[in-house]
Amino acid sequence: MESRLLRVDLTTGECKVETVPHAMFERWIGGSGINNWIMWEHFLTHDINCDPRGPDNIFVFGVGPLAATGSGSGIKGRITFKSPCYGIFGDSAAGGKFPYMVRFAGFDYIAITGKAPKPVYLHLCDGDVEIRDASHLWGMNSAEAHNTLVHDLGDFPSAAHTLTIGQAGEHQVGIASVVSDASRIHARGGGGCVLGSKNLKAIAVQGSGGVRVANPRGLLNWSKDFRQKIDQNEAIYGFKRRGTLGAVEMYQHIGSHFWRNNQGNMFRGDDVRSDNWVKKYHKYSEVCSADCYIACDGRYKIDGTESEKAKKYVGESFRRPEYLTTASAAGALDLRDWSEVAHWGKVTNDYGIDNQDLSTSISFIMELEQHGLLSARQKAELFDRDHQSLEWGCMEDVEELMKDMVFQRNRFGKFFHDGPYYGALRYSQFRGENFMKYATYGKGGASFTEEMRPFPTWMNNMAVASRGADHLKGIGLIEKFQRRDLSMKYFGRLEAADLSTPLLKGACTAVVENQVALLNSYGVCLFHWMLDPGGYTPEDYYGRAFAEVTGIDRTPEELMRDGERICNLEKAFNSRLGLRREHDTICERWMFEPCPEGMYPGKVAADMFETVLDEYYDWRGWDRQSGLQTGARLSALGMDDVAEVLAADGALAKA
Amino acid sequence: MISIHAQYQSRFREITRIEKETFEIAEPTMAALAAAITGKYGPAMTALLMDEESKSLNSRGTLYLNSKGQRMYIEDSLTDGETVFFMVGIAGG
Repeated sequence: MESRLLRVDLTTGECKVETVPHAMFERWIGGSGINNWIMWEHFLTHDINCDPRGPDNIFVFGVGPLAATGSGSGIKGRITFKSPCYGIFGDSAAGGKFPYMVRFAGFDYIAITGKAPKPVYLHLCDGDVEIRDASHLWGMNSAEAHNTLVHDLGDFPSAAHTLTIGQAGEHQVGIASVVSDASRIHARGGGGCVLGSKNLKAIAVQGSGGVRVANPRGLLNWSKDFRQKIDQNEAIYGFKRRGTLGAVEMYQHIGSHFWRNNQGNMFRGDDVRSDNWVKKYHKYSEVCSADCYIACDGRYKIDGTESEKAKKYVGESFRRPEYLTTASAAGALDLRDWSEVAHWGKVTNDYGIDNQDLSTSISFIMELEQHGLLSARQKAELFDRDHQSLEWGCMEDVEELMKDMVFQRNRFGKFFHDGPYYGALRYSQFRGENFMKYATYGKGGASFTEEMRPFPTWMNNMAVASRGADHLKGIGLIEKFQRRDLSMKYFGRLEAADLSTPLLKGACTAVVENQVALLNSYGVCLFHWMLDPGGYTPEDYYGRAFAEVTGIDRTPEELMRDGERICNLEKAFNSRLGLRREHDTICERWMFEPCPEGMYPGKVAADMFETVLDEYYDWRGWDRQSGLQTGARLSALGMDDVAEVLAADGALAKA
Repeated sequence: MISIHAQYQSRFREITRIEKETFEIAEPTMAALAAAITGKYGPAMTALLMDEESKSLNSRGTLYLNSKGQRMYIEDSLTDGETVFFMVGIAGG
């Protein structure tokens, strides 16, 4: 297994191609694992404490070895960078057709450094690379830029597929996203801001190449088996029709939504708390990736008959919103009309901005208004206009604040451009009053619009996830869905599936983080794993597909160690930036305010937090007191070179 | 005989075409409830609710909770008047 890494220095205009050797896959699997190593090496020769919006930051795009092989397990492209909004490790995945076209264009990884003197885009086509003028694209939203490139580049040797940024990225909003083919979004961490800071508006790829795999017959057999398992799974049939919106009713039942800045945890709007509307308004099915057997994507087109409010959006068509788009709109902002939820998904994609951090920034301000903490004068100071209504559930208010953020047009936009934590901090400093108890965030200041207080593993994920609070680094389904069978499989005990005890919740975080790191490095979609057609075992079932593609045949135990190694590199990056145990934390609301409603009322994270965190460090082999890695554990993972760097930085636990 | 209330969401509701119903079952177990439901709704429900290999409840993409919020397994007991919720098990997105 070998692949190609394109390095682009936008300051000098130099583009060069390197071979990623087989040994790299032996150590880092691919996808996010190799992305991480490329970034790690970069910051051995560049100041890791650099301004993430400066030319020394690196932006890496990569695909895993299973991508574009016909495995059917979905494709995720991954971007990796130092996060401009949280100042820590940053990465984000998205599906769609861009990732496989990168491989067909002759590349697997793209590493971009420097800063172009004027707006440019990268064009990759069958092994060739050009840095092209993007003056005509600057100012466009992500969809307009995509459509222009697709039109201008034509259909030879293939249609173009793109990564673009919207106006949020151009204005270097910290929580700006990167949009794939105008509809899939690398939302978290501020990748769009990094591209904007480099004057890079887009990457467009065209290609007619193929992908070489070690054992095509073996992969074909694996793929056939996978297809059969999916076809036989009736729950996946339901998922195909709803996508992640299938979670809406279940979350409503157990009280796992995030309503009005998490003052509640159930949706209120009749329209949005049932998934009936998904089927009612879902007009067209769509395949996200050409290499996915599930095909859960859908598309809507508003004709104005759906509701009174839908008349504002007649003719609008876009991807059906995913769960977290719905959670941020119907939950965090209390938008109750389906068409507004869908529109929220479209405009946040068009502007290229993370709807988790945007919604929680807006809901923070709305909650201050709700409590009478904003006078007319204070609102005028914040918004630079005489009057700004801040009404829960009012789409017009939401859109105004969104534009404030995207175009950085007033103090609100500037205070909150790195999300709710830094926004609340800046606003508290501005007012000379502490409003932090209204900010909802976890590690790094990142926010997340799901209730986690009754779910100790999720709570811990929010505190320890390497890219800041988020579920997609260690999604705790063993606990949330109370999977006693999986608790027994991985721990030989039942407690990981028991919500009432902190026991095995830290262990569960560690194990699932390792599994997710593997899946992200294979380059497959996490939902294939969650739906469990091949067993909940990325180290086993998917490991066999990895072996057919790469020729690297590992035992499940070895693959779990590979996942652990990848997690440890992300941890090491953050340790070099000065993160310690005190940074593995969550906000006051989640920690101390009782869960208000739903099936598990009264739960507070503080009841279990420290116990779970201690256990997590123990399972990781990290030092409880400092939260730092130990030389012994890193050595056992074959990471002595990483330990040396940490020791030199004073970021390794004392023996 | 005991009475058990069943409530259905998402794909389950598509198959049953009703949101809730009550079953009278002789054995106070999830196994008896599952047999009553699959007997009433046929192959599609059987494929959704049961794992053919293990003969247990299908755990792939599904979630079954009692009224205390505890996941139910095929071997679990039921008490008269209990409600069991049949849901999809998917998170995030």
